[in-house]
Amino acid sequence: MLAYILRRLLVALGVMLTVAVVSFMLLHLSGDLATAIAGPESSAADIEKVRVQYGLDRPVAAQFADWLGAALRLDFGRSFYFQNTVMELVGERLPVTLKLGAVSLLLAVAVAIPLGVLAALHRDGWIDRLSLAVAVVGQAMPNFWFALTLVLVFGVGLKWLPVAGNTGWQHFVLPALALGYYAMPSLMRLTRAGMLDVLGCDYIRTARAKGLRPARIVFKHALRNAIIPVMALAAVELGFMLGGSVVIESVFSLQGLGQLAWDSISRNDYPVVQAVVLIIAVFYIGLTFVADVVNAALDPRMRTR
Amino acid sequence: MRATLPHRGLAIGGAILGLVALAALLAPWLSPHDPYAQDVTQRLIPPAWYDKGSWEHLLGTDKLGRDYLSRLLHGARVSLLIGLAAALISGLIGTTLGVLAGYFGGRVDALVSYVVTTRLALPVVLVALAMASLVGGSLKVVIVLLGLLLWDRFAIVTRSATQQLRDAEFIAAAQALGAPTHWILLRELLPNLAGALTVVATLEMAHAILLESTLSFLGLGVQPPTPSWGLMVAEGKAYMFFQPWVIVIPGVVLALLVLGINLAGDGLRDLGAPDGRN
Amino acid sequence: MKHLSLTLWLATAAVAAHAGKANDTLVYASDNEVENVSPYHNNMREGVILAAMAWDTLVYRDLKTGEYKPQLATSWKWESPTALVLELRQGVSFHNGDRFGADDVVYTFNVVTAADAKIATRQNTDWIKSAEKLGDYRVRINLKAPFPAALEYLSGPTPIYPAAYFKKAGLEGYSKQPVGTGPYKITAIVPGQGVTLVRNPVYYKDSPLGQPRIGTIRFAVVRDPEARAAQLMTGAVDWIWRVPADQAESLKAAPNTTVLSGETMRVGFVSINNNGSTPEAAPFKDVRVRQAVNHAINRKGLADSLVRGGSQPVFAPCFRTQFGCDTAKVTAYDYNPAKARALLAEAGYANGFDTDLWAYRERDYAEAIIGDLRKVGIRARLHFVQYPALRTELRSGRAPLSFQAWGSFGVNDASAFVGNFFKGGPDDTAKDPQVIALLQTADSTVDKAERKARYAQALQRISAQAMWAPVVSYSTNYAFTSELKFDAQADELPRFFQASWK
Repeated sequence: MLAYILRRLLVALGVMLTVAVVSFMLLHLSGDLATAIAGPESSAADIEKVRVQYGLDRPVAAQFADWLGAALRLDFGRSFYFQNTVMELVGERLPVTLKLGAVSLLLAVAVAIPLGVLAALHRDGWIDRLSLAVAVVGQAMPNFWFALTLVLVFGVGLKWLPVAGNTGWQHFVLPALALGYYAMPSLMRLTRAGMLDVLGCDYIRTARAKGLRPARIVFKHALRNAIIPVMALAAVELGFMLGGSVVIESVFSLQGLGQLAWDSISRNDYPVVQAVVLIIAVFYIGLTFVADVVNAALDPRMRTR
Repeated sequence: MRATLPHRGLAIGGAILGLVALAALLAPWLSPHDPYAQDVTQRLIPPAWYDKGSWEHLLGTDKLGRDYLSRLLHGARVSLLIGLAAALISGLIGTTLGVLAGYFGGRVDALVSYVVTTRLALPVVLVALAMASLVGGSLKVVIVLLGLLLWDRFAIVTRSATQQLRDAEFIAAAQALGAPTHWILLRELLPNLAGALTVVATLEMAHAILLESTLSFLGLGVQPPTPSWGLMVAEGKAYMFFQPWVIVIPGVVLALLVLGINLAGDGLRDLGAPDGRN
Repeated sequence: MKHLSLTLWLATAAVAAHAGKANDTLVYASDNEVENVSPYHNNMREGVILAAMAWDTLVYRDLKTGEYKPQLATSWKWESPTALVLELRQGVSFHNGDRFGADDVVYTFNVVTAADAKIATRQNTDWIKSAEKLGDYRVRINLKAPFPAALEYLSGPTPIYPAAYFKKAGLEGYSKQPVGTGPYKITAIVPGQGVTLVRNPVYYKDSPLGQPRIGTIRFAVVRDPEARAAQLMTGAVDWIWRVPADQAESLKAAPNTTVLSGETMRVGFVSINNNGSTPEAAPFKDVRVRQAVNHAINRKGLADSLVRGGSQPVFAPCFRTQFGCDTAKVTAYDYNPAKARALLAEAGYANGFDTDLWAYRERDYAEAIIGDLRKVGIRARLHFVQYPALRTELRSGRAPLSFQAWGSFGVNDASAFVGNFFKGGPDDTAKDPQVIALLQTADSTVDKAERKARYAQALQRISAQAMWAPVVSYSTNYAFTSELKFDAQADELPRFFQASWK
């Protein structure tokens, strides 16, 4: 078990390093950094001054090492655009995105698991077919379009919920719906498949033979076993949501990390973009690592690869 | 009952796909107007069934007076082109990686798995946005970008399929006969992967189309005045409160296309594994 | 059916609670954030609005009569054409309690706007050579050369900074916690999201601006025009502007919402890089290609159908009320796509060519112009970015075409427009020596007639050589809660310090 965890940890760290390299390259591909920092009105002498000041005249590998070292201390430098450091900006926006991700996942799971259980229990029944249909249709809708429709119907039309800002819990309902619905079908399908698998097992039949009530069987035995892979998938989906929140945040004017990244991309504020890409990737890698370990801890079959 | 489901899904999906493909192919002949012809005095005319609409513009006009139906039909070309081209490129990359990993195993497998994990760890939308903003959005850029980012599922699926086939008899026979590796991979292995590849290709096509529409919606995908359904939703956003058809129509058509592709893909997959397992 | 959906939305809009008046908080939304709230370090309109609330200038221009009245300066006299002596008002304090005096004026004009200081728009203070302290409440401003528009600029984009505080805080500290003497104090800045201001209770009673009435004002950055409209309709925001003409029409019918429209001094234009080195910019070296661009754009169509609200076609880089904007001899290119194509063919581009057009605002207008250009064969790709990115592309010469809009900072003098773009500065895409010489002479003459003549000559040459393609004057639409009493002026500076609740 320990060997497995160590192996996965090593891989996770290796991937984080690779992503860090990719992030860093993003900045350096954007052209002459010194000119970008100095501004278009500066003279050649000004640009050279900036180049030395920011250490841009050193070999790329050394610059990367510096950047990585600073990043480990959570120092990502200053934004090119604002007067603040990147960490200040990220610190303000990260909670919003995390809140959004958490609520989205909660909503998705709250719908997916009961639906998946019901679908499995009444296999081929109308619930099964309906939820399958909903799943398939749901994954076909572009999420920005779904988000706009939500704004139109619930925000402006019915006025039940606010459509912008992030001050109260109500502000997260519509965005969470728009972000979470995309994860719901796969979670539901996995729950269903897991339930079907477990329901067909010997020990369930034994329990039935012993005369235990069906509901008890479902919740005590079947669900507990089926839920493990679903939780793992949920963690992965959370990672996806953190990375894909940019559109939802833009439609709902939620000042989150995704919107910060998007704004920074349009402003060529690359230190911020680098930092956000790395942070989101680290979250994702961390979540998949945890999911892997959880899976392995609860299911001995998974550990031999 | 269960057996007819995949067939029904495949039929519906195939029908939708066929319809869209037909519309895309025949767009220049089916379009009543030039999709680029703008006339600012004819802006935002509603579809023909509204009272202010007219039959000259069946689905109305957009914010610059361009005929909506014509733009919709030409947009089909863009969506399908991007879907197919991106799936092709990502298919080539992913299949190559997956087959190599599955066939040779050992260090090659470890390396490929590492690359796949890294790719999965990157937030695709953000990276696509960042790259697109560096080089500027356009049809070609979108296709190449999506092709370079969407190969992971190809790699994963072909890897496990290759691993299963690696120990099959016909492979062993070919090896015993002394056939060169590349011949085995291309002539013996690949044809047997066709089924799995088709399924993944349809799913990645849908993924590429959705991702392109997201990029265009954010302004870094296909550039105006080229019609793209995602771009049309973005352009219609400004009018969605009072002229909702401007975003409803392209959104619905986009969803239908992706639905059709997904149904066809699911149907194909279920055909190949009739007991419902993935 | 269209009307059904319209009334449905508007009927439900009536239920919205406008929290504004109840909390004595006015929330206004605009599309761009300000990268640096310090007025000398940004050139966004949103920055100008904040500047007008939190800072004062030496002189005030009466909105109705155009006369210059005392503000931070109580009187002034021209000692010579290049020396202006001002008596300063006593008893004024900055938001942090420091007393306002001559030191602050001197510091502002000597340090903040010095040659090596990285300020955003040089034009606004470049005419000043130095400022001297003559007494605690007396200063002399020395000009580099006689500048007839001096008072105009002193009443506009020249806020006075606190010397002691700025020295202590530095630019970075100042940007995060700015201090001025204006009717409102900035209490919070959230980068990229907004700014909060509260009423200055000790704002000096004799100010020509009057006393501020609304207690708290919040500026919210909402990039999306639909999101702004949605927020207005749901009551989250009390005031929006830059409402597209279509939305404005529909909002007029909404209850609890007032819609104001009016022409503004802002002019939209397509700047052309006359000296480009990139392949996309090469065709524009030929004057015939530039003239083709001018013939290709349907100005009247744009003004009447897209911009509306009193918008007019414009053929010169100035607004008609600005002194010096004499367009009698300006070439007014007619809308003639056939002629455009003929000119292109003459220049060797019978099949047209591909190029790029950069824009950061009014995407619709940019797309309409691209459509017009495409019709004659100029296939321009749209690059829609934020202003700083566009500025970089433009100033480095990489952008062959750009669509922008310039409001001249509300200054009613042609130097604020033509001067900014054709006098050889970083925003000059033509760098024509004749025009530069004409403008320099014009700006150093005090003789009004001569100034006017020189400007007319410059404008004539600019249009004859088609160095630019000016397009239309803007109108703007404001929409706000009916609880608010708000008046708009043509200089596009919403004066919230003069607004009040009904």
